[in-house]
Amino acid sequence: MDFQLKQRGRASMHFLADLAVAAARFKPRVDADIAARGLSEATLADDLDERLRQVDAALADSSAAAAFAVLTEYSGVNHGRIAAEAFDEIRPELEPRLRALMNGPTTIEPMPGEARPAYADAAWIHRTSGGWDGHDYQGFVHGELIHREYVARTYPGDIFKQRRQILSVLSRRDPARIFEIGSSSGHYTLQLAAEFPKAEIWGCDPSPRMLEQAQRVANERGFAWRLFVGSGEATGLPAESVDLVTSYIVLHEIPAAAARAQLREAFRLLRPGGELLFTDVTRYAVLDKRAVRWAEYNAVHGGEPFWREAASLELGAAAREAGFAEVRSEGLGGAPYPWFVYGRKPA
Amino acid sequence: MNKKIAAATSAWDVTQALTPHDAAVRRDRATQLALTLAQELWVVKDRLMLLEAALSAEGRALSELLDRQQPDATLRAALETERQRFIAKVLAALEQPQDRR
Repeated sequence: MDFQLKQRGRASMHFLADLAVAAARFKPRVDADIAARGLSEATLADDLDERLRQVDAALADSSAAAAFAVLTEYSGVNHGRIAAEAFDEIRPELEPRLRALMNGPTTIEPMPGEARPAYADAAWIHRTSGGWDGHDYQGFVHGELIHREYVARTYPGDIFKQRRQILSVLSRRDPARIFEIGSSSGHYTLQLAAEFPKAEIWGCDPSPRMLEQAQRVANERGFAWRLFVGSGEATGLPAESVDLVTSYIVLHEIPAAAARAQLREAFRLLRPGGELLFTDVTRYAVLDKRAVRWAEYNAVHGGEPFWREAASLELGAAAREAGFAEVRSEGLGGAPYPWFVYGRKPA
Repeated sequence: MNKKIAAATSAWDVTQALTPHDAAVRRDRATQLALTLAQELWVVKDRLMLLEAALSAEGRALSELLDRQQPDATLRAALETERQRFIAKVLAALEQPQDRR
């Protein structure tokens, strides 16, 4: 949807994004300070809690570490509020268009077998004000403003292209029906629709506000997606009814037990020969101690209460336990990020 | 509170407690206030640059004009440069003089 922020909203979002970029420039200096204080792979503690404590004490007099903390704290706490304010400035002209886009071939319905999981309200994920459902147009605020105007400007690489590139992992190019877990505002769903234009697309997400944006995105393009409010752990949908079950950057937002449940449910939903593709953050097992400490530090201060248990979950083993064959758990193209687990339901 | 929420909240609090020096920096409201003011100041600076550009081009009601005005490529580049300079200046205030590189 084409829209223009007003001057305050545009300038505020630009400032926020540039501040995040500026914060990232302190990271090498923090690393240098860590090294200068004698901390290395050999001397960093094996235990992660102890390592966090150890590095924190060592950086007590590091102005680079203090600057990084101050800047990321500001963007963490304020990005949701600033984006919501930018939306509210243009709400009068945008709202009629957003309402109109709720009508169309894409539908939203309750998931027959699922209630809202408790973890969806465990924290304001990403520290976004109000969490997934904290604004009546949170899907637009998060998907269009925070994701496009802030995250895409501050994260390395093209976060939208990555959602398309991961699909090269799949062997089958002819799925008749795809089930996506964690559709959110529809960024990955759009890539699925573009890659597999003949496939029927089903998707789910525990957040109604996020799904409403996916619905608008789909209706604007004339897509007929069937969206369900649910977590994808025990859907109640018919067994052996889909050819691909997939998710993108969802697993670290949920407890490891929920990820295992999604794997089991994916296996149940797939037809024999169907494929699984879940993509998520880099596994702690392939990172060195310094990198794991950074990931953990950023996760804690970035509003990611489940990151540690998710990044510690051995996805390949979990997929095999769920019944999958031909399992691969690795980084795309040999890179550490994005990380995926692939499997196939035996024919 | 159910077990899952209790576990998540606890993990959050525990990890914050593992980084007391970092947490103290983050709790410094004066620094966060400075950044809030910096953001507000940037909005004003951005608006002023738009205003200067608009005044030279249009005679419409200024408030409405500024809300709708989009910087052209030249002004967008100037805003980008000015914003980077502005942020660098704010960041410099966070550092010890000997740390500036």
